[in-house]
Amino acid sequence: MRVTQNTSSNLVLQNLQVIQQRQDVLEQESSTGYRVSAIGDDPAAAQQIVRLNTQTAATNQYARNINAATSLLTMANSSMSSMQDVLTSVKQLAVQMSSGTYNAQDQAAAVQQLTQLKNQLISLGNTQLNGTYLFGGFKNDTPPFDTTGAFTGTADSTNIEIAPGTSVSATYSGSQLLAGGGGGVNAMAMMDNLISAVGSGDQTQIGAQLSNIDQVTSQVTSAEALVGSSMNRLTTATSVGQDSNLATSQVVSTLQDADYLQVVSDLAKQQTAYQAAIAASAKVSQVSLLDYLS
Amino acid sequence: MDIGSSALTAQRVALDVAGENIANVNTPGYSRQTAVLQSQIPVSVNGLPTGSGVQVATVQRAYDSFLQNQLVAANAVSGGTSTTNSAMQMIQPLFNDVSSSGTGGLSGPMQDFFSAWQDLASNPQGVAERQAVLSQGQQLVDAFHTMSSGLTAVQGNMNQNLQEITADANNQLKQVAALNVQIQAAQAQGTQANELEDQRNYLVQQLSNNVGVTAKEESNGTMTVTLATGSGGTTLVSGNQAGAFSLQANTSNNGFYDVLVAGPDGATSNVTSQLAGSSAPGSLGATLQMRDVTTNNYLSGLNELASTLVQQVNAAQSGGYGLTGSTGVNFFTPTTSAADMSVAINSTDQVAAASTDPTTGGTGNNINAQSVAALANTAFSMTGGNMTLGGFYTSLMGQVGVGVQSATQNDDQATSTINQLNNLWTSNSGVSLDEELTNLTSQQQAYQGAAKLITVGTQMLDTILGMIQ
Repeated sequence: MRVTQNTSSNLVLQNLQVIQQRQDVLEQESSTGYRVSAIGDDPAAAQQIVRLNTQTAATNQYARNINAATSLLTMANSSMSSMQDVLTSVKQLAVQMSSGTYNAQDQAAAVQQLTQLKNQLISLGNTQLNGTYLFGGFKNDTPPFDTTGAFTGTADSTNIEIAPGTSVSATYSGSQLLAGGGGGVNAMAMMDNLISAVGSGDQTQIGAQLSNIDQVTSQVTSAEALVGSSMNRLTTATSVGQDSNLATSQVVSTLQDADYLQVVSDLAKQQTAYQAAIAASAKVSQVSLLDYLS
Repeated sequence: MDIGSSALTAQRVALDVAGENIANVNTPGYSRQTAVLQSQIPVSVNGLPTGSGVQVATVQRAYDSFLQNQLVAANAVSGGTSTTNSAMQMIQPLFNDVSSSGTGGLSGPMQDFFSAWQDLASNPQGVAERQAVLSQGQQLVDAFHTMSSGLTAVQGNMNQNLQEITADANNQLKQVAALNVQIQAAQAQGTQANELEDQRNYLVQQLSNNVGVTAKEESNGTMTVTLATGSGGTTLVSGNQAGAFSLQANTSNNGFYDVLVAGPDGATSNVTSQLAGSSAPGSLGATLQMRDVTTNNYLSGLNELASTLVQQVNAAQSGGYGLTGSTGVNFFTPTTSAADMSVAINSTDQVAAASTDPTTGGTGNNINAQSVAALANTAFSMTGGNMTLGGFYTSLMGQVGVGVQSATQNDDQATSTINQLNNLWTSNSGVSLDEELTNLTSQQQAYQGAAKLITVGTQMLDTILGMIQ
């Protein structure tokens, strides 16, 4: 091939440009830390990165949902165990009053005690978290139990999504718990009956309420079991979410992050090549036939 | 003596040619020339054939018409790829969901919007959560607007570029026609017009970069230039007549320009779609292609996403109940275009989290908020099959990414083709100083020899004349 001055100078220029382009890419990788910082760099990887990032963001959102559900359930759980304590006291008192003889004073004291226990049960039924009444169903911005113990809430329970397509009940309605909804025993009516029976010393009636007390206790126990299993699911969902986020971030990192060692060593190679190319082209273009003609 | 004088003349011409070559070593498009020497017809002296010196038969230029045609074709491709590449570089940031600065793209805002509904489901009465739904909705709308207006701006840009490209091309067409006249005149006189032909060839290469053309040299020395849009391309230059491009706003295409060609014969034709579909488009064709095809595809994808999102969110939101019992209220103003998207509600009470009237059924009802949030994971029937909104966007983004990648690769490839052809061209037609200097030396020596011949002849004559004295 015939070579002219312009052939060599064009070649030098083109080759230097190729080296500089490579250097530019490497410098961008090393300064951003990303191998893929534009969708055109690697469209297939970019699509995967976006999908995985969306997944991570969704998992983070589910973690927030799980936190919200956890605080609701923890609060519900602690008021349910307090209800158990109240019911235990009620039962002790009822058993005590259903046998033996008591004078009017004893009866009055027992009535007073039971009234207080009922009020405790009402106030536990009106437990709040951040202004939300836990046992009110969907009507959770007003106290679900009024001063007489009548239930004004709804029988709904709030579902919260904790994973795609998976929800847990984050609340348990007071209707099933204490107000006799779903074929259960109304605890407040039971208390009222008990109080009037104790007041009148009607031991048969007191005895009849004992089974109702047991029934209410088992209602609360099964609610507690439900809350407990929900909380277990939340714990599992949390750790699944954390594991998946960890795995996702590793994959994203493999797809997107620059391999610094590789980048730095490539950059050094390109710089050496650049210097060599400049030095060589300077030497080549120095030589001319003109130097030898006089 | 005659032989010596013919040699002097011939070597002087050869020296002139070498001088011209050296002077034009860096002139773009200049092909090196060679003086072709030829011995003159011998004469018979005393029955013996005796040489009668040398003459310059012709001044030839090193020119390869095949290479020229390849350069014209390669320029048509390269003009197109560089235009496409720079346009794609403008589009890329709009869809760049993986940028290191975290700007650009829709996947973030879309995720945030549905996350806000999730938060609302956890606390359906919360004013802060309701406000978040509204403001994330607004941010989503803003993101759609940014992308849509960015794409429209690219189209507008492309449209404006047509003015400069066609003005440049028209100028080049006129110059080619003018050179045709001069070259034809020179050939009619029997002289060569090497430099003019070089200029014309170079001009056609540059023209092809603007508008893909093919050029054909006629027997009378003129060049016929036609649009490189397959067989039957419109003629642009014929003899001394140059055609011209003109632009005309087309109301049925957003008022964008149509490209018309007034041919040398005076007939005007609309070549817009012909150019946009050409495989050797030049800048002009690629500009039209970006404006009318590529960008439009991205825009229609974006509009489809916007329209599905608006429709689905509206259907879910209007089926639910706001905090004060409002129902049937749209979240977004119904539209099918990303540019016209807007949030339709302004009161936080109207955000429908509940599936029944909260004034009677309780404000804790979060069922509708969950339904809206679940839209993020629901597959809808869209172009390309059943997919989620996020999936549709990701594939649209992938399309743009592949577009950017192939535009870059095509441009690199076209540039390297041009480089390689230019190297071949400089190798074939370029001036080598070493060669010219060597020629110069040999011509100088030949000149000295011829001069010596005349000196010897003169001395011989002197001798004869001396004898007479």
